[in-house]
Amino acid sequence: MTLRIRVNAQEHDVGAPALTSLLDVLRDHLNLTGAKKACGRGECGACTVLIGGRPVLSCLTLAGRVRDEVLTVEGLGPEWAALREAFAEHGGFQCGYCTSGQIMRAVALLRDGLPADRDEARQKIRYEMSGNVCRCTGYNGIVDAVLAAAP
Amino acid sequence: MKQVGRSVRPIGWQAITSGTFAYSSDLKPDGLLHGRALRSPHPHARIVSIDVSRAAAMPGVRAVVTGADFPAGVYYPNEGSQDREPIAREFVRFVGQEVAAVAAETVEQADAALAAIDVAYEILPAPFTIDDATAAGAPRMHQRPIKLANVARVYKRLWGDVAATRAAGPVNVTGTYWYPQQTHICMESNNTLARWDKDGTELHVWTGTSAPQLMVDELAEMLNIEKDAIICHEAGVGGSFGSKSRISEQEFLAAVLARAAKAPVLVSLTRREEFATTKTRHGFRSTLSLHADDQGRMHGVEGTIAVDNGAFVHSGYSVTAAGLKGLGTMYRFEGIDIDAQLIDTCKQPGGQFRGYGSTQTMYALECLIDDLAEKLNIDPIDLRRQNANQPFTTSPTGSQFQSVRLTECLDAVRDAIGWDAKKADRRPNRGVGVACGLHSSGSFGPDGSNRADSAIDIFIDGRVLVRFGGADTGTGQKTILAQIVAEELGLAAEEVEVLTIESDRTPFDLGAWSSRGTYYSGNAARRAGRAAADRLRTLAARHLGNGAIHLEAGKAVCDGRSIAIGELVAGAPETKEGVLTTEISFVEDAVHRVDAKFYGNASGTYSFAAHAAEIEVDPRTGKLRVLDYVAAHDVGTAINPRLVEGQIVGGAVMGMGSALGEEMIHEQGRLVTASFINYAMPRAADLPEVRTVIVEGGDPKGPHGAKGVGELCITPPAPAIANALYDALGIRIADLPLTPDKIMNALAARDGRVRRHHLWRRPSQWWTAFVRWCYPRGLFALLHRYGPVAKRAAAAASPALIDAPRVVDAVAALASGATAIGGGTDLLPRMEDRIAAPTSLVSTLDVTDMGGIEFAADGSVSVGAAVTLAELAAALKGRCAVIEEAIASIANAQVRTMATVAGNLLQEKRCWFYRNDFDCYKRSGPARPCYAVLGDHRFYHAAIDGHRCQAVTPSDLATAFAAVDAEVDIAGRDSARTIPITDLYSGPGEARLQASETVVRIRLPASAMQRRGTFQKLNLWEGDFAVVSVAMTAFAGPDRALADPRLVFGALAPVPWRARRTEQWLARRPGATAQELQSVLGEELNVAAHPLSKNGWKLDAAEGLAQHAIEILAGSSEERSKSPAA
Repeated sequence: MTLRIRVNAQEHDVGAPALTSLLDVLRDHLNLTGAKKACGRGECGACTVLIGGRPVLSCLTLAGRVRDEVLTVEGLGPEWAALREAFAEHGGFQCGYCTSGQIMRAVALLRDGLPADRDEARQKIRYEMSGNVCRCTGYNGIVDAVLAAAP
Repeated sequence: MKQVGRSVRPIGWQAITSGTFAYSSDLKPDGLLHGRALRSPHPHARIVSIDVSRAAAMPGVRAVVTGADFPAGVYYPNEGSQDREPIAREFVRFVGQEVAAVAAETVEQADAALAAIDVAYEILPAPFTIDDATAAGAPRMHQRPIKLANVARVYKRLWGDVAATRAAGPVNVTGTYWYPQQTHICMESNNTLARWDKDGTELHVWTGTSAPQLMVDELAEMLNIEKDAIICHEAGVGGSFGSKSRISEQEFLAAVLARAAKAPVLVSLTRREEFATTKTRHGFRSTLSLHADDQGRMHGVEGTIAVDNGAFVHSGYSVTAAGLKGLGTMYRFEGIDIDAQLIDTCKQPGGQFRGYGSTQTMYALECLIDDLAEKLNIDPIDLRRQNANQPFTTSPTGSQFQSVRLTECLDAVRDAIGWDAKKADRRPNRGVGVACGLHSSGSFGPDGSNRADSAIDIFIDGRVLVRFGGADTGTGQKTILAQIVAEELGLAAEEVEVLTIESDRTPFDLGAWSSRGTYYSGNAARRAGRAAADRLRTLAARHLGNGAIHLEAGKAVCDGRSIAIGELVAGAPETKEGVLTTEISFVEDAVHRVDAKFYGNASGTYSFAAHAAEIEVDPRTGKLRVLDYVAAHDVGTAINPRLVEGQIVGGAVMGMGSALGEEMIHEQGRLVTASFINYAMPRAADLPEVRTVIVEGGDPKGPHGAKGVGELCITPPAPAIANALYDALGIRIADLPLTPDKIMNALAARDGRVRRHHLWRRPSQWWTAFVRWCYPRGLFALLHRYGPVAKRAAAAASPALIDAPRVVDAVAALASGATAIGGGTDLLPRMEDRIAAPTSLVSTLDVTDMGGIEFAADGSVSVGAAVTLAELAAALKGRCAVIEEAIASIANAQVRTMATVAGNLLQEKRCWFYRNDFDCYKRSGPARPCYAVLGDHRFYHAAIDGHRCQAVTPSDLATAFAAVDAEVDIAGRDSARTIPITDLYSGPGEARLQASETVVRIRLPASAMQRRGTFQKLNLWEGDFAVVSVAMTAFAGPDRALADPRLVFGALAPVPWRARRTEQWLARRPGATAQELQSVLGEELNVAAHPLSKNGWKLDAAEGLAQHAIEILAGSSEERSKSPAA
């Protein structure tokens, strides 16, 4: 079937079977390989993208049911440059494989806002980002990066 | 500006943070095929026959290979063991071993072809554990030179003066400690893309490797081709932690499939394959005695160690040896006497893992040191300080130390954790613990591993490129090489490029393993950088005269005059094609192979660490929380402090993972913990910030004084936490991980608590008890071996997705055979697992009557079935704590955004046998066993009402809904009914729905919003399913009464379980205390429960959660629910 999908402010018509995951559409059809298939079962968060501004697991999202615009790490505008730099500056990644998912989760979290209190903010980041597994950093660097990018 | 010591951003950060950094599986060459492996379903079997003819003829299939395609005598080059052929030819020795491989145009075609390969097996008896394998009469797995069955190697290590050690050390402590198998689980699974060029004579490989040249050597040996015929190309490497430092199986498979198909082939392991078939940390059982004198001088250690090798030797020889040597290297011992055996078992094999053996043995030693400290009444830090190694000494094992700052590390953690104050001011259930670790900076292993070469190209435009033959797996290797070279050349690190992996363009380097990257490659790069700088200065002298010339900002500068580096390159006689190349070789002469007595110095220098943990245990549930963690490291100079901290924190958290939850649980040789959901590794919310202290100071031999850091950090966490647990509660748990079950059982034993269920008085349980009695007495073996397996439904080729605007449309679709899909977070993985094979799906998301949350005038709330968990939580915020808290505990933000309320209620059982491909009764037919009865059922199985299946209903919402008397609207083609939520379930995750029926709405009565309530959950990691949960609600009555209470437990029985007798008691008992509740509930649980052999502790934990709940309801507790969203 042909499905029409809006990704990173561009419309695409994609020919794919009905149950194709959004992740496969992004990676195989649109050549947006930032989102990773690290488990393909919704258990690790490496495929996180935003749909209508909300964080979802693209590996378990059927592309044919996507109604709102998809935003992937490749589509982040300059307003998120500080967040990307914070990941580099604070040790927010090592191997980088989970990073696209971490950043997209962080984007949604930062849009929702963090508590003013630093300790509470840290706690909230840790809780809200627990769906994004990282095996390298031990999470310190990710929490520091997100906190540093908060307004 | 100094480049060394700067926290330079990692090279490539722009690409990594914008999603454009390419790993091997991101590459899509034209004509790419997908390779998949057929794997043994048996732990030990003889292959009677393999027929691939059907598979070869399937659509899209371009190559099929089996063991018969390779000559006899081809083995993985595993330390010379010659025990594993690249694809099994005659015998398979673990579940998951490769039996054949297929390349096809799509993954689906490849999988279909695998299913069409006919293999006949003769099943052989299989030893799974060290004890099985060494029991009298155990079936022998390999023909090895050692007479003892299943012993791959025997070790006898005598270092120093053992007799004198015993004599001098009359005080001794002894213990047996188990460090389980742990798996690396790099976020990038093992991926390899292979392509043959030049008429099949030149192999190009893109692969996740940390040691490209070693991999090329090994692959060339297996393919019997010249090393030069293999070219490894640079691609991102998504983590290694040791796992990618030798050849991996998919590298061989991709190469041979690409050769056979004459096309590029990508072999990308699924996450389940990654868990279940790759090599693990070796499990170690260490029985040690530590000898000391009464002044606290430790003299030495003796004992026996059994190492679980798994099915084949993959570095098992050297991992065991390194573990033994580690015991004799940390402290100033005088004698070491250890006997060890490396033991074959029919499980996925062990391999190289960060820490490499010493992580396991040091766990035992560091726990024993605390036991000794207690026996001698000496502070554990003082005892370690007193015995710490000193700089420039030699250990009895022959290790020649350079800088040693173990004492300083101990002082640093004492200070940072507040040790003395915390030891003095005891708080209940809290404790502090300390442990140390050491590691080499690159052990002398394979030939050439005491050498590293470095090449620097300087271009006429002034660009500088460092060529490095290893890889950067995320450790920042590229970045520190750039810093080291930039320092010499007077550039900023950001101006230096680094090329890695490209095996025909980079000089000799055996790659990243044994913490050798900084020491070897760094020393080589520094020397190359210095040589290049010297050459530039010499060249510059012609232009600038003989004054002092220094390099700065891309120029050679002397007395205010300067010349650009590029110009010097252009004018240099040796410049070729515009490039001035400097290449040098660094060889460490001070390391040598161990001698016949296993004595020798394997490493140029050694790194040390001390970690301290403060922990708190909830004695009601057994949950251990790390409150504070400090890691102090002597790693010499930090070339890039941020990267060093990253290594320390990442390693410490990985070590805490094995301390608190990570273990490879196998049943009948098949991995049970084969997914992120079942393998309890830490998530962000599970641990505190790890605080690091880099103990300042250089090292005479490391580049700029730097030593290795990557592995050291993983060793101290487990003993530090185990020691803190002992400090907190006085219980010593020798078997990792320190999960709540072990803590609860140890507390029960300490306090003399025993649960009695009086089964003899309960005829309803006699049959269950009898069957369970029969299981280990032959019934299980019979069902497992001979129970016929119902054939699994083949997945429909391309299921349709049906849009249903109204309930009536959805129901019509269901009636015609469609399956409902809400968020898809349960159904889609079940389809992948072939538990579900729908022919068409009907989406509930757009069904109008199944959406929305309606607040009625009477206070009741109607919740659409397709409302997401996040939407429901938002709507009920501040109105219904029990539901809000339950949702906050479910999975994670992404899942809560996607998953629907009905999807959560109707998700299938999460039994980790059922979900991980075990042919159990529920999965594969009535004559199959339940694997939970004898298998690991400590966490996720029923302790009440378990019958033929021991699973539980996994929905936390169901538990919470039951505590507010929710009802469910169900619609079918010919029906519309409303039932209490508790009537929805007929069994574990099994709903009483007809084929055409579905849940349409959930009705929360007005009382649900008036009740006070709380949801409490015990699980192993943030977002995990419940091990036990409780939902408790009541109306606030006079005199602190809890009117009309509900007390519902999740994950304790097949369906949400109400403690009705306790509810009645509560209603009559205003101001009931937590302790009284525990007593009453305990009696009810004793009468109701029929736990399996190892999950009775869940009843204790259920009581504990109920105690928390009543305190929260009564408002008498200061404690808050743990999640900040709650």
